[in-house]
Amino acid sequence: MNTKKRDRVYFWMIFPAFAGFTVLYLLPTAMSFLYSLTNWSVYNAQLRFVGLRNFQKIFTDVKTVAALVHSIKYAILITICQNVLAVLLAVLLNRKSRAANFVKSVTFLPAVLSIMVVGYLFQYIMTSADGGLLNRIIEWFGGKPVNWLGDADIALYSVLITQVWQWTGWSMVIYIANLKSIDASLYEAADMDGAGSVQKFFRITLPLLYPAISFNILMSLIGGMKMFDAVFVMTKGGPGYATETIMTTVIREGFSSGRNAYACAFSVVFFIVVFLFSQTLTYVFNRWEEAIRA
Amino acid sequence: MTLKKAAGRAGYGIFLISVLLIMIIPIYYLLVTTFKTPAEAAASPLGLPVQITFENYRKAIEAMGYGRALKNNLVIAVSSVSLLIIFASMSAYVIARSTNRLFRLMNSVFMVGLIIPFQISIIPLYKMLAGVNLMNTHTAVILVDVFCINLPLSIFLMRGFIHTVPVELEEAALIDGSGTFQCFWRIIFPLLKPILSTVAILDMLAIWNDFMTPLLLLQSSEKQVLLQQVYKNVGPFSTDWTSFFPMLVMATLPLVLFYLVMQKQIIEGVVAGAVKG
Repeated sequence: MNTKKRDRVYFWMIFPAFAGFTVLYLLPTAMSFLYSLTNWSVYNAQLRFVGLRNFQKIFTDVKTVAALVHSIKYAILITICQNVLAVLLAVLLNRKSRAANFVKSVTFLPAVLSIMVVGYLFQYIMTSADGGLLNRIIEWFGGKPVNWLGDADIALYSVLITQVWQWTGWSMVIYIANLKSIDASLYEAADMDGAGSVQKFFRITLPLLYPAISFNILMSLIGGMKMFDAVFVMTKGGPGYATETIMTTVIREGFSSGRNAYACAFSVVFFIVVFLFSQTLTYVFNRWEEAIRA
Repeated sequence: MTLKKAAGRAGYGIFLISVLLIMIIPIYYLLVTTFKTPAEAAASPLGLPVQITFENYRKAIEAMGYGRALKNNLVIAVSSVSLLIIFASMSAYVIARSTNRLFRLMNSVFMVGLIIPFQISIIPLYKMLAGVNLMNTHTAVILVDVFCINLPLSIFLMRGFIHTVPVELEEAALIDGSGTFQCFWRIIFPLLKPILSTVAILDMLAIWNDFMTPLLLLQSSEKQVLLQQVYKNVGPFSTDWTSFFPMLVMATLPLVLFYLVMQKQIIEGVVAGAVKG
């Protein structure tokens, strides 16, 4: 078979996808980097190169620094909460019983709803206005009502809880699939050695969940970093700027305020953080894999 | 021993019920509220409605321009998923079968999109789409959904699957004299059915639930999707929950029905997306 001729056909088969990807993904990403070094905004008629001035501004403005910190804090916390809960649920629900199966599919259900709809639903559930469901339940148990979304100290965590509620089931089904692939004879051998269930979990289950853990952690972390919808509908970044995230800031600066270059510079910071996160995780997971294999 | 066992079973039952309550109460609350009057909802938020009335739904459907918005959603979702299936399957096939350095390089470039979110490019992307007069068109949303959001994962999943398809089938077809291109569509593409449905499901969920892209790209009411109709109505109905909640239900109803019918395939799709990694 003529490889050259075949490669020519191959080229035209891959070309539409690659061309679209280049024009709509690679090119704008590169432009974001270039524009981050300029003064591009609706207020400047003339485009000028300004060096790193935008970055200087980002790291001296309390609002953007806060947004950056919120996104990182949120991403790390949601990764921990979501994965710890999902592993626990997976281990406890991974049995052949109709009740466990039903609970499994109900737990997954919120993952097919849009983040925006879940956000609005919980905005009403958590409202401090009369009739907020969560506060009424708390009061019914004799507790004091909490200003879930209006208190700057806890608003970010309130949003976080709703997202953990929504996405734990998604991670859980991935863990369950991984659990099913673990050889049952390993547990039998451990039983013979007289290992308790806690020991079995840490010695067998957790190390062998390695593929699902590394995938889920990377996904939650990146997903957490780009969080936008939930904050946008629940708190609009408020109260004050207590729940501003990287994406809400980029959208506000770029679209509402017209400070395009500034928004691009913040996107570049976003890129660097995601890049560092994924590199660090890959390194840590490779080390962990080596340790397990050894 | 039996006492311990019974305690264990009771403990497990309590665990199951607690998880179930935490997951179900918010959804139950959403649904029952849609059938209540405001006074009723305030008096007993978790009680069953006194009488079932669809008046709230009628109002919601009218305020949302439901038929038109649903049609917009379907146009965007169906076109995007079709384009993704066509482009991603061809690309994945080439990447899986060729050893040519150029295609390897293209693959590495696609895989960058798995890690680096397209949101980084959002400002230049938006200006570019506006520059070629695609602002306020479904085409713009479809382009972003296809190339910026879903293409890398779709290629990645399909490539993994194509590696498991034996090459002998193609070789036989090529000897019979059919070209590379026909060979792909006639022999390989039909064999990809399981992975095509996985990819279609994952892409469908991502596209239907994407709020940011239409929010930034579609301005006129005739073009907007269901989630934007919800967003637009939250202001006017902010104190009238019993009228607003049906909109939340109606915006997600198509996907919930999809989940109830295709539950097994959806969960398999999510798992395939992870395990192949």
